[in-house]
Amino acid sequence: MGNNDLMVGLEIGTSKICVVVGESRPDGTTKILGVGQAPSRGVRKGEIVDFETAMKCVHEAVVDAEQKSDVMIRSVYVGVAGAHIQSFNNRGCVVLPDDRDEIDEEDIEDVKISAREVSIPAQNAFLHSIIQHYHVDGQDGILNPIGMLGQKLEADFHIIHGVRTRIQNTIRCVKELPLEVEDVVFTALASAQVILTQQQKNLGALVIDMGGGTTDYILYVDGAVRQSGAVGVGGDHITNDISMGLRIPMARAEKLKIEEGSVILGNCLPGETVVLKDDSGFAGKEIERETLNTIIHLRVRETFELLKRTLDEESFINYVGEGIFITGGCSLLQGIDHLAEEIFEIPARVARAQTMSGLTSAFQNPQLSTAIGLIKYAQAVQADRPQRRGLTRIFSRFIPGMR
Amino acid sequence: MIQLNRNYTLPEREDDIIPIKVIGIGGAGSNVLDRVVLDGMDQADLIAANTDVQSLASSVAAAKVQLGRSITHGLGTGGDPELGFTSACESGDEIRAALSDARLIFICAGLGGGTGSGAGPVIAQSAREMGALVIVFATMPFSFEGKRRAAQAQEALGRFHQLADAVVCFENDRMGDMVAPKAGIHQAFAVADMTISQSLRSIVNLIQRPGILRIGFDDLLAALRGGGGRCLFGYGESDSDNRAHEALAQALKNPLMDRGRMLGEASRVLVQVAGGPAMTLSEVEILMRELNKHISEHTQLLFGTAVDGRMGARLSVTLISSLACETDERPVQNFVPVESFAPPPADPIVPAPEPEIAVVQEAEPEIEPAAAAPVVEREQVLQVEPTPSIQSLVPGDQVTESEMVEAEPEPAPEKTPPRIIPPKKKPVVAQKAGPEQISPKSESVVGKPKQEKSVAAKQEVLQFEPLTRGRFEKSEPTIVEGQDLDVPTFLRKNVRVK
Repeated sequence: MGNNDLMVGLEIGTSKICVVVGESRPDGTTKILGVGQAPSRGVRKGEIVDFETAMKCVHEAVVDAEQKSDVMIRSVYVGVAGAHIQSFNNRGCVVLPDDRDEIDEEDIEDVKISAREVSIPAQNAFLHSIIQHYHVDGQDGILNPIGMLGQKLEADFHIIHGVRTRIQNTIRCVKELPLEVEDVVFTALASAQVILTQQQKNLGALVIDMGGGTTDYILYVDGAVRQSGAVGVGGDHITNDISMGLRIPMARAEKLKIEEGSVILGNCLPGETVVLKDDSGFAGKEIERETLNTIIHLRVRETFELLKRTLDEESFINYVGEGIFITGGCSLLQGIDHLAEEIFEIPARVARAQTMSGLTSAFQNPQLSTAIGLIKYAQAVQADRPQRRGLTRIFSRFIPGMR
Repeated sequence: MIQLNRNYTLPEREDDIIPIKVIGIGGAGSNVLDRVVLDGMDQADLIAANTDVQSLASSVAAAKVQLGRSITHGLGTGGDPELGFTSACESGDEIRAALSDARLIFICAGLGGGTGSGAGPVIAQSAREMGALVIVFATMPFSFEGKRRAAQAQEALGRFHQLADAVVCFENDRMGDMVAPKAGIHQAFAVADMTISQSLRSIVNLIQRPGILRIGFDDLLAALRGGGGRCLFGYGESDSDNRAHEALAQALKNPLMDRGRMLGEASRVLVQVAGGPAMTLSEVEILMRELNKHISEHTQLLFGTAVDGRMGARLSVTLISSLACETDERPVQNFVPVESFAPPPADPIVPAPEPEIAVVQEAEPEIEPAAAAPVVEREQVLQVEPTPSIQSLVPGDQVTESEMVEAEPEPAPEKTPPRIIPPKKKPVVAQKAGPEQISPKSESVVGKPKQEKSVAAKQEVLQFEPLTRGRFEKSEPTIVEGQDLDVPTFLRKNVRVK
C-alpha cells in the first residue's frame, strides 16, 4: 500500500465511469491529482447488467486515471446507486448497568447494534447507518455522549440498505480487475459531502443527484441525514423520450439534449426550430424547439414531483433552510433549477464541488461530484479513525464523523 | 422422503377435495387437455369432447364424449358453429352424465372453429344447470387466421360470458409474441396450450391446497368477475435462494400479465403464495411488498397462503385478476398490442340499424380512440356501413376506394410514429374499425360541413395506444405508484408532441 494518504473514488455510472484520484494533505485539505473517465457500457439504471463489458469500461477508466495522475491505484472507494436502495430512520436504545453511569464507547457500539435490530428484507444488506442524534435520559440533540452521565442512552440512526447481490456485483466488478474495495458508499451521500458545507447541513438541505440512470436524493436536517433514496429515472430516460418522441436515434437525441435541451417551456419563439445536422454536416431534420423542451420538461417535472411526494411524507419542506442542490449530469440541463424551485417551492441551485484544491476544472463539472465526494468521504473516514484502518467492514459501518 | 412425513399432513385433507372436472372441447380443447395430462394433474377428472372421432381417439383424457354421433358421423364440423351447436344438443345427455357430481367445471375450448364455438356454449349451459361453478378457458384465434374466424370466436366468447361464472380469454396473438419469430407455428400453438395448462393447474391447486389463509371459490370468483374483460394471470415458481423475488418476477412475466403493468388497473387481485414447510413469513412479506409496487392503493388484495409438503424447497406465486370490460375506455389505457383489441371496439362503432354513414360521434369518446388512435390531425375516419344499401348511398364510392389505396401508405411514415405504433396496425384498424378510412384528399368527394365539425370533436380524445419503453425494453421496469416510468412521460400523460 505504502501511501495511506492516496484516496481514489470510483463511480460506475450509467453513462460514464469516473475515477478521481486525490491526496490527503497534512493540513486536512485534499488535493485532486487526476481524473480518469470512460464511457460506460453494460450499466443500466445504475446497476450492472453486462458484467464483462462493465468491467472493461472500469478498467479503461482506471488506466486513464493512473496515467493522468501518475500514481498506481490499488484500492478504491466505490459508489453504488440503483433504485433498489432504500432508507429509513430507527432509534436504538441501551440501558446502562446499575453500577455504572458514565457512557463510554462500548455503549455507543451497543446502541448502534440495537438500532440495527430491525427487519430489512432478507436479500438486503446494510449500506450505511448514519447517526442523527443521541438522547441521554430523554435529553435531546446530544452530539457526542461519551463521558456524559446517564442511565439510558438512545440514538436515532438513518439506515440505508440495498439488495445485497446487486451491491456485491459492483464490488466484484472492481475486485476482478483486481483492485481492492475500501468501502462502498451510496452515491448521494458521497455527492453531499462535497456539495454541502457543514453549515448548510445544519440549516437543512436537499441534494438531488440526477445522473444518467438514476436520481438519488439525500436530505439533511439539523446536520444529520433525515431521508435518502433513489428513483430509477435519469438522463437516459430523457434521451429515450426524445429519441422516441422525435423519432431520431439515441446518439442524436443525446447530443440534442446536451446541446439544445432546456426544461423551460414557453421560452422560445413560436415555430423556432433546431436543425439537426447530418454527420456529413448537411442540414437534416428540423425540430421544433418547443417540442423538444416539452418532452424534457415533462420527464423532469414528473421525476421531481415523484421526489416531492416521497419527501412530503414527512413534511420536510419546513426544515430545509438552504434549499435544494441539484447535481449530476442532468443538472446541466438549462433551467432545471427554476423547475425545481417551481415544484418544491424552495430555492434551488445547481451545485458543484467547491471545497478542494488541485484540478479546479474538475470541480466545475457536476458530473464528477459523486466521484469527488467519494474522496471527501474517504478523507473523513480516514481522519476519524486512522487507527482502525483496514478494519473497515463493508456492510457494517458506523462513522460518527459522517453526518 | 422420510423427512417429509414428519412435516404437517392434515388428516382431513382427503375429505376436503373438491370434485373438479376439466372438459376440453374440440381440437384445441383436447390439445390443452393433452398438455394438462403431460404436466400432471391428479386432482381433477379430465374429459375430452369432440365431433371428430379421430382426434378424440388420439386424446389421452380418461373420459371421452363424442358429439353429434348422427349428425357429423364422426367427422369434424368443418368450421361451422351451427353444426357444432346441433351436435352438442344431440349429445346433451352424454355430456350431462360426464359432468355429473362436479362442483367446479373448467371448459377449455379454442374459439373460431366449429366445435369449440358451437358446442362450447351448450356444454357451458349444461354445466351451469347442474349447479357447478363454470370457468371457461377460451383461446382466441390468431389474427392471421382470418376475420371470419375472429368474428365467430367473438360471438362464442360473448355467449360464454353470459353463461359461465368466469371466462379466461387467451389471445393466441399474444402467445405468439412470446415465441421467437423463427419458431415454427406448432411451437406458437404449444406455447398457448402450455400457458392454459399452467393456469388451469394452478387454479386447481389453489383451490385444492389446504391453506393457512385459504382461498375459496368466492375469492376466485371475485377476482375473475370483471364484466367480461381481460383476465390477468400469472404463475411463478422458484427454488433458488432468492425464491420469493424470482417467483414473483416469473409470475409477472406471464404473457397474460404483461409484466404486471396492467395490474395497476385491476380492482381485485388474488394472490396465493404456496411453499414447502420451510417457507418463512419474511419471504411472503418481501413478495407482497414487491407486488404492492405493481398495484394501486385501491386494489383489493385477496391473499392466501398455503403450505404443501410436496412443494419441497420451491415457492410458488399465483396471481389472478381481471380488468373491466374492454369496450369501456380500456383499450386506450391498456398497454397491449393493437390487434388484440381491434375486434371489440368494432361492433359498437358500427351500430347495426343506422342506415347512414356512421360518423364519429361525441357520445362515444371512450370507444373512439382505440380505432382512431393512429389517425392524426387532418385525417378523417368515416365508418361506412358494410351493407350494400349503404354503399349505394355514398356518392362516388369507387373513387373513395381507389383514393384510399393510394392515400393510405402515404400518411403512415409521416404521421404515425414508427417506433410507437407498429406498422401492421394500420391495416388492422382499417379492416376492423370500418371499411373505409378516408384521407383528407377524398374529403372533397364525400365531404359535408357537418362532418368536419365532428372530426374536431374527435381529436380531443386522440390518444396514443401502445406504450413502448424504447431503450429500456429489456431492462427491469421501474414501476412507481403503478406507472412504468420507462415509458416516456409524454406518452403516459397523452401529451401530443408534434
